[in-house]
Amino acid sequence: MAAEPVPYKVADLSLAEFGRNEIRLAQHEMPGLMALREEFAGSRPLANARITGSLHMTIQTAVLIETLAALGAQVRWASCNIFSTQDHAAAAVVVGPDGTPDDPRGVPVFAWKGETPEEYWWCTEQALTWPDELGPNMLLDDGGDATLLVHKGAEVEAAGLVPEGSDDDPEEWRVILGVLRDSLAADPLKWTKIAGQILGVTEETTTGVHRLYEMAKEGTLRFPAINVNDSVTKSKFDNKYGCRHSLIDGINRATDTLIGGKMAVICGYGDVGKGCAESLRGQRARVIITEIDPICALQAAMDGYQVSRLEDVIDEADIFVTATGNRHIITAEHMSRMKHQAIVGNIGHFDNEIDISGLGRLPGIRRNTIKPQVDEWIFPDGHSIIVLSEGRLLNLGNATGHPSFVMSSSFTNQVLAQIELFTRTDQYPLGVHVLPKQLDERVARLHLDALGVRLTELSKEQAAYIGVPVEGPYKPDHYRY
Amino acid sequence: MIAPEGRFGSDIADPELAEAGLARIAWAERAMPVLGLLREECASKQPFAGRSIAACLHITAETAILAGVLTAGGGRVHLAASNPLSTQDDIAAALASQPGVFVNARTGVDRDTYYAHLHRTLDGAPDLVVDDGGDLVNTLHAERPELLPAVVGGCESTSTGVARLRRMAAAGSLAFPVVAADVSVTRRMFDNGYGTSQSVIDGLLRATNILLAGKTVVVAGYGSSGSAIAERAAGLGAQVIITEVDPVRALDAIMRGHRVLPMAEAAPAGDVFITATGSRDVITGEHLAAMRDGAVLANAGHFDVEIDVRALADLAVQVNRGIRPHADEYVLASGSRLILLADGRVVNLIAAEGNPAAVMDLSFAAQALALMWLISGEAALPAGVHPMPTAIDTEVARLTLAAHGTRIDELTAAQREYLASWRDGS
Repeated sequence: MAAEPVPYKVADLSLAEFGRNEIRLAQHEMPGLMALREEFAGSRPLANARITGSLHMTIQTAVLIETLAALGAQVRWASCNIFSTQDHAAAAVVVGPDGTPDDPRGVPVFAWKGETPEEYWWCTEQALTWPDELGPNMLLDDGGDATLLVHKGAEVEAAGLVPEGSDDDPEEWRVILGVLRDSLAADPLKWTKIAGQILGVTEETTTGVHRLYEMAKEGTLRFPAINVNDSVTKSKFDNKYGCRHSLIDGINRATDTLIGGKMAVICGYGDVGKGCAESLRGQRARVIITEIDPICALQAAMDGYQVSRLEDVIDEADIFVTATGNRHIITAEHMSRMKHQAIVGNIGHFDNEIDISGLGRLPGIRRNTIKPQVDEWIFPDGHSIIVLSEGRLLNLGNATGHPSFVMSSSFTNQVLAQIELFTRTDQYPLGVHVLPKQLDERVARLHLDALGVRLTELSKEQAAYIGVPVEGPYKPDHYRY
Repeated sequence: MIAPEGRFGSDIADPELAEAGLARIAWAERAMPVLGLLREECASKQPFAGRSIAACLHITAETAILAGVLTAGGGRVHLAASNPLSTQDDIAAALASQPGVFVNARTGVDRDTYYAHLHRTLDGAPDLVVDDGGDLVNTLHAERPELLPAVVGGCESTSTGVARLRRMAAAGSLAFPVVAADVSVTRRMFDNGYGTSQSVIDGLLRATNILLAGKTVVVAGYGSSGSAIAERAAGLGAQVIITEVDPVRALDAIMRGHRVLPMAEAAPAGDVFITATGSRDVITGEHLAAMRDGAVLANAGHFDVEIDVRALADLAVQVNRGIRPHADEYVLASGSRLILLADGRVVNLIAAEGNPAAVMDLSFAAQALALMWLISGEAALPAGVHPMPTAIDTEVARLTLAAHGTRIDELTAAQREYLASWRDGS
């Protein structure tokens, strides 16, 4: 295999050394992944796995990719967001620990920071297109775009034609239809063959999981899926603690505005919204929550936040962050009523929470790019707002996303899920599954030592008293942590 | 009732309560190791031998321990209550049972009796005075000027009292030096910052049993007490609104993430109102009329003038007294029911137990050290209001750390030299 040149398209392979240095530092902060590498060094449970990954191509993801490879898998990768790639990470993964920029020996990666939508879907297709007509046999997805392309591709091939896009469709959908039109012309069974080889997908995030459950309900899901997002050590950690860390990092790097004393609105009080609210409150902003779910709204109120409607605070707040997973949360009309130099950003997975295209269509509006991913939009009356990362998730666009330690927790779930689906395929029928609680607990266990946590052990008598095994699992499945 | 030592007497509610009071004093003593250390020092050095000390303080277990330090040092202590509602009768009885202590304090006395008690306290012909709010010093100057020449000096605990004394000093009326104990670092930090805030929340909870999470708490005044009350309310899950008159304090509140509004706008938004300004008419009839049904009103300031209780009574069409201990319900014509705690008097002392003993330990230790310093003659201060000397503050902190068993680093000679030098730069 070393003789084959590594296919790739990244920004600049000369960044590999910087990337490798950062990967080395990240490895220390990702004890779960490193423990798995050690544990499975001999058995290589992912030998013969061909994994296509669609997940933010960051330094932490590089450690994930190299862990999958260390466990025996062949891997091809694309990012799942046009802005989230760290070019030095992509370069280092392509070059690999033993290669050089002139002789890359790592993993094929198709990702760079600042892809166009066309380039983005081209990259996703490349990650799914393996040599010799072998497709991937495993998907590792974040947001579900790889899964979507395979499913839509197979659907189009079954129908024999690509539907006409209409002007009302989002731009991105028209791009996807374009990709499918080209592939249908080149190979009318490409996606059907790929879908047929895939044993399963492990999905990283809420949005992608939501899509999977929809497909399972409609009966269109073509292979089993593990919902990694709803592992406790993923959603309760990555979503909450990761966003708590990276939200203010993104806002600070983008604007260097003093957050203390400002009024900040967080739309959505799920796990992400909770982390965001704590993050801004920790900087002593006055945080206001908007919610549609009475339970989350009550939680926010009991946590001491003012819960308002966006309309009622739109002209007062200094910072707006969307964290809903829903669309059309902040409209162009909302933005036109915001205070001068209000900061607007999104930390939800997709860029449809804030209506950026609607903003661009307002008569007389001008866009002044302050620096990459920081745009000032100037309204005809002269007042302006500052939009971060064009409404895409700002913690990745303006900062470096979640820190390594949090991602170690998430990605250890991913690796365990890949091992489960690949080695115990028959245990996972078509449908969407969550990881067994014991594996969830195991992920947590693997991170305790690094933080100096000394866990207390149940005695046999205590375990019997509450009716659990000494070694776990300790909580019933419905326990909410 | 005449005490064994002759002409001085105590006026207390019920001497039978002494045993219960002594048990509570013993409990408080465990949390007051600094005064314990000072009592040992006083017992051996007798700094107050033959001296008379008049003190007007809240009659609580902590005050009893301060009195114990002064009597251990050879002093005779005459105590009056600094607030007619804050007297704990069992403590008063316990104190009155001790040699060298005379107590004139009963809970719930009227204004005439309150001042009569101050006079009986001054009958002890004080060498030193300890005041809390300024009533004792004021009465001494206004009505007992013949006693003034003998007074060496005094201490005042509260910001309210210190402000009064400053006005007296400015008018040339203050006859002796008074150490302002309210501005010492240890006092600000522990008393207002940790003590008052905890006990105000305690008083609020005891009187109402209200869940603070999800509620909007309006704190009037963002001084050392108000800011700490705000922090605690937020810590319990409340949204906090601050009202202020000082732009610097208001900015501090904003930068700590609180909302700042004028009281007129806060009035309809709050579930709980806590005044901590030291000023008067902070919550007026107009504000009260705008409040929501069920709003709770509490005052943490020294005097009962922050909430306009008379206006509340005028607005009310019905008053249901004592719906819970220390909680009265005022029904307005609109049908709104407003809950006033502790008659608008200092809620942490009336509905709860005042500052925890550990906080008062520091506060009173500083005052005991200040009294020792004044009576030693080393102070040699002119008449007027004087700040607590830094040396006493440092000593209090040192004793407290020693009592906690906390060890700290010492500057090295090289560090001292470096810090004293202006020559070293980048």
